[in-house]
Amino acid sequence: MVVETLELTKHYSKGKVKALDGCSLRVEKGKIFGLLGPNGAGKTTLVKTLLGIIHPTSGSARILGEPISNYRVHAHIGYLAENHRFPEFLNARQILFYYGKMSGLNTELLYKRIPELLDLVHLSKWAKTRIHKFSKGMAQRLGLAHALLNDPDLLFLDEPTDGIDPVGRKEIRDLLISLRNQGKTIFINSHQLSEVERISDEIAILKNGKVLKTGSVEEFISVKQQYQLLFTEGDTPFSEVCAELNIPLVQTDGLFTVSVESDLQLNHLIDELRQQRFILQGIVPRKISLEDYFIDVVGEEAQV
Amino acid sequence: MKFLSIVQLTFRESLAKKTFMAFLAISTFICLLFIFALNVDIVDGLQSGVSIFGKDLPKQFDLTKIVVGIEGGLSVLLYTAGIFLSLFATSNLISTMLKPGFVDLFLSKPVSRLQILSGRFIGSVLIVALNIFYLVIVSGLILSLKTGVWNWGFLWAAVIIVLSFTVLFALMTLLSIISKNGPLSLMVTYLVLFFSPLLLVRNQIYALLSSKYYGYFFDGLYYVLPKTAEMGAMTQNLARGLEINSWMPLWSSLLFALVMLGISAYIFQKKSY
Repeated sequence: MVVETLELTKHYSKGKVKALDGCSLRVEKGKIFGLLGPNGAGKTTLVKTLLGIIHPTSGSARILGEPISNYRVHAHIGYLAENHRFPEFLNARQILFYYGKMSGLNTELLYKRIPELLDLVHLSKWAKTRIHKFSKGMAQRLGLAHALLNDPDLLFLDEPTDGIDPVGRKEIRDLLISLRNQGKTIFINSHQLSEVERISDEIAILKNGKVLKTGSVEEFISVKQQYQLLFTEGDTPFSEVCAELNIPLVQTDGLFTVSVESDLQLNHLIDELRQQRFILQGIVPRKISLEDYFIDVVGEEAQV
Repeated sequence: MKFLSIVQLTFRESLAKKTFMAFLAISTFICLLFIFALNVDIVDGLQSGVSIFGKDLPKQFDLTKIVVGIEGGLSVLLYTAGIFLSLFATSNLISTMLKPGFVDLFLSKPVSRLQILSGRFIGSVLIVALNIFYLVIVSGLILSLKTGVWNWGFLWAAVIIVLSFTVLFALMTLLSIISKNGPLSLMVTYLVLFFSPLLLVRNQIYALLSSKYYGYFFDGLYYVLPKTAEMGAMTQNLARGLEINSWMPLWSSLLFALVMLGISAYIFQKKSY
């Protein structure tokens, strides 16, 4: 496991505020892990705790096999902080140089790596511009370049696409997928559910410092035993077939959705429809968006 | 190398501040003044006349006294205005580092918290030392080369000025770590800087007060707080080539700085950001 937390808690104000409340999760190597949660759920606290910026009240955690108290492991970690602030009197190149040195990189390597990274995040033209002139998106791209400086094995990104335009967001998505394919592990905190849905292999939903759900994106968004049936003709009256087989049918916006008890029942329904000469165009497992799922889970918890 | 980069970054941050550049400009102006305003005529290896701003000084003026007097005056200026300005210019170097978004970047690097704090502290002291030694060495060199009078006490005075700043900056570091507020830390440090000389006359203060406990209190404060007045006097004596009666003010102030830094490191180590 690249990241492993066990009953991690962080309490403030003598336990009145529980930023993390028994948070346990595991992230495997070579995966993109998305951490979702409403504002104040404890996402940033969790990342900061893993990086040793915040000390936990109790529980334990390891990153890259080392306890989080071992700062030396940071040599293999990249971090893009939410609302990061670089010294404004420096330009992009100088920032990467000084912070690269702090990561233990030598001058020769930095002279090679900095132009490559600035090129990667499309800031080459702005390399010598002091960053107080940078827009939010540019500062974010510089933050990403900074996070990649030490060619990290594990990358923590807190709201990585914040302030970035759609084209830039796609480029970042592609970059993260390419890094994942190189075997790197990426831990993303984000409010952008659609972004997370597109690239994450695993997801956890955090609320009030507790992990509510973990699993793959597929597990989250596919609704078990619900299928949408597509016919060649628009309004095909097959409700009688469903009624005979005791299969609930819902028709919305011209789409027929059936809820079956098992795969066997689904096949039975298909056989019946084929016998009665219905022309099926397709059978698609019904999916909901991650946003719908997120709202369901977070809402359910609130009701409980 | 990682530690050095923190020192370098602090140094760069300090240089970016206008106060230090103004300090350097004033120092350069003073040095230029010595180059052009002071003229010593030497004929056949002997001093034949001294002029300041083109005005000849009477023959009975002792050149050594003039040089030592100028250097003594400069050391007083550096001890008072120099330390005052240096504290002002460095007041937010620690508190800036602790700001959200900034501290995260430091703490996510493979460096210990002790290295981060000491790198920041040493970087700040170095920039002040550079300013003070620049003025002392360059002006001392100009005066010595022009007059042939070499006053090594002036250099030692600079060392004491830097150490005095270090002591006060250690206090400001602790206050910044506790409060995360540069201006507040500066105000309290200024209070100590200006209040501690009053403790020299504490006998007269608690003579006016009824309880003997005030005496213990002021005595305690005197021995705990940095002895800025005595260190100022020490600086002047060194620059004037006079004897130092007691080094206690220096070592007890340095001890105070060590305690301040120790507590700062402990709190910084334990705090969440």
